[in-house]
Amino acid sequence: MTDWTLEGLATAIRAGKISPVEATQACLARIERLDGGLRAFITVDHAGALETARRLEAEARRGAWRGPLHGVPLAFKDLCFIRGLPTSCGTKTAEYFLAEQDCTVVARLTGAGAVTLGKLNMTELAMGPFGDNAHHGHAQNPWRAGHCTGGSSSGSAVAVAAGLALGAVGSDTGGSIRLPAAACGIVGLKPTYGRVSRAGAMPLSWSNDHVGPMARTVRDCALLLQVMAGPDPLDATSSPAPVPDYLASLGGLASLGGSLAGLRVGVPENFFFRGVHAEMDTAVRKAADVIAQLGARVLELHVPDPQTMSDVTNIVSRSEASTIHARLLRERPHDVQPVVRSRLELGTRIPAYDYLQALRLRARLTRAFIAEVFAEVDVLVAPVIPEPAPSLAHATDGPVHELVARQGRFSRLTRPFNGLGLPALSVPCGFSAAGLPLAFQLVGRPFDEATVLRVGDSYQQATDWHTRRPPLD
Amino acid sequence: MDESRPQQAEVAALLGVIERMAADLALAEEPARFIAALEAGRPPAGDEAGGG
Repeated sequence: MTDWTLEGLATAIRAGKISPVEATQACLARIERLDGGLRAFITVDHAGALETARRLEAEARRGAWRGPLHGVPLAFKDLCFIRGLPTSCGTKTAEYFLAEQDCTVVARLTGAGAVTLGKLNMTELAMGPFGDNAHHGHAQNPWRAGHCTGGSSSGSAVAVAAGLALGAVGSDTGGSIRLPAAACGIVGLKPTYGRVSRAGAMPLSWSNDHVGPMARTVRDCALLLQVMAGPDPLDATSSPAPVPDYLASLGGLASLGGSLAGLRVGVPENFFFRGVHAEMDTAVRKAADVIAQLGARVLELHVPDPQTMSDVTNIVSRSEASTIHARLLRERPHDVQPVVRSRLELGTRIPAYDYLQALRLRARLTRAFIAEVFAEVDVLVAPVIPEPAPSLAHATDGPVHELVARQGRFSRLTRPFNGLGLPALSVPCGFSAAGLPLAFQLVGRPFDEATVLRVGDSYQQATDWHTRRPPLD
Repeated sequence: MDESRPQQAEVAALLGVIERMAADLALAEEPARFIAALEAGRPPAGDEAGGG
């Protein structure tokens, strides 16, 4: 069962082929067997998950279905506040992160019938793209032990890739959903800024934080997004934009040659392929070829300088993170890992003048990017990570300033889209010679997750990368 | 090695962007226009997933 898609499991539960308790027990048994080595979870709620599953099973017997996720086991990044469970935010100081309200996204997913398996490992304070965590143990890449998972939603990607959970929630401030999704060979969606509520999730940067779904297939991400998306009075930045029917927009089975007819897909000729590992470069361009075979018109184009947007995003994120976590930095600096502390300290050196100018620049750059790019194409295709997942030593060994520089290089292809607020979907597209996942990201117009998901789903129907499983059994 | 020196260099590099880019910002350019840019860039209703 842990090998099924989320959609497949939900359908099987509805049909009475498997019960919520059986599904939950299967995930818990797999966690018990594998997570000692993988370190995907910080907290496993064994008793709570089974209690919820039993209640859902009784409801199902009465014909009382909560929603499309009835009985489906999920897990949540350990920055989502959930009543009754501790929230560490990847730190050793959970007492600084006491819940004031339940996470809206978790409440919506459990309201739709999901079972909470537990809370997932993450980079400390969600600050770092590799997935290492000295406090809770480094999450291990399920495709190759000793390699990074990507971060900061490391446990979310590992849990899904290893079949410990059918889906997960992550957060993305500079790439933290897409980087681990790419490194672990699963799908991850950073929705448009405002599409999904961030209420009840630890803030890192009010301006750049996004919460989104992670799963093995694009269809499963669409199913999760359907439940997660929409306005929330508890998040002042959530958009009132109507939420379309994502699964309906995916349509039926694709056939090579026509399913994406009429769509214009752009491959950036500047920035995104510069310095990218040859295997990644080749895999992403091959993915664009598949998309062309599906009927889309694929063209190369020049995009407005993403490096400037990346720098502007960095100024904003650093300033806001230092403000948000000022108390922890002031009172317990030595309980924070040196690299994370260094990044927080840097934010305190940015004057208000520069922070505010960065926010003004962001608005202008976003307007220009949307106007120029989406006049030419409907979707962009680009690499997510510049190289296959590096060794954990690459993330942890060396002087602090060098580690910070490596972090910046690894997340350089995702960060611009946080500043731009655009929907971006990471999709697996092959493996390196060393057996590590390769991936591309699809970037669309604001609030046009539907098109991004449709392209990703068509690609997955024409390929089988998402059906491969890591060598764990 | 003193870790504050590379940090100062990183801050200086980041703030250089503001120095270069912010000089000609229009008076009306305020942070909230970011949200307006996203709303204005939204595909027309019913056109999502349609492309073209």
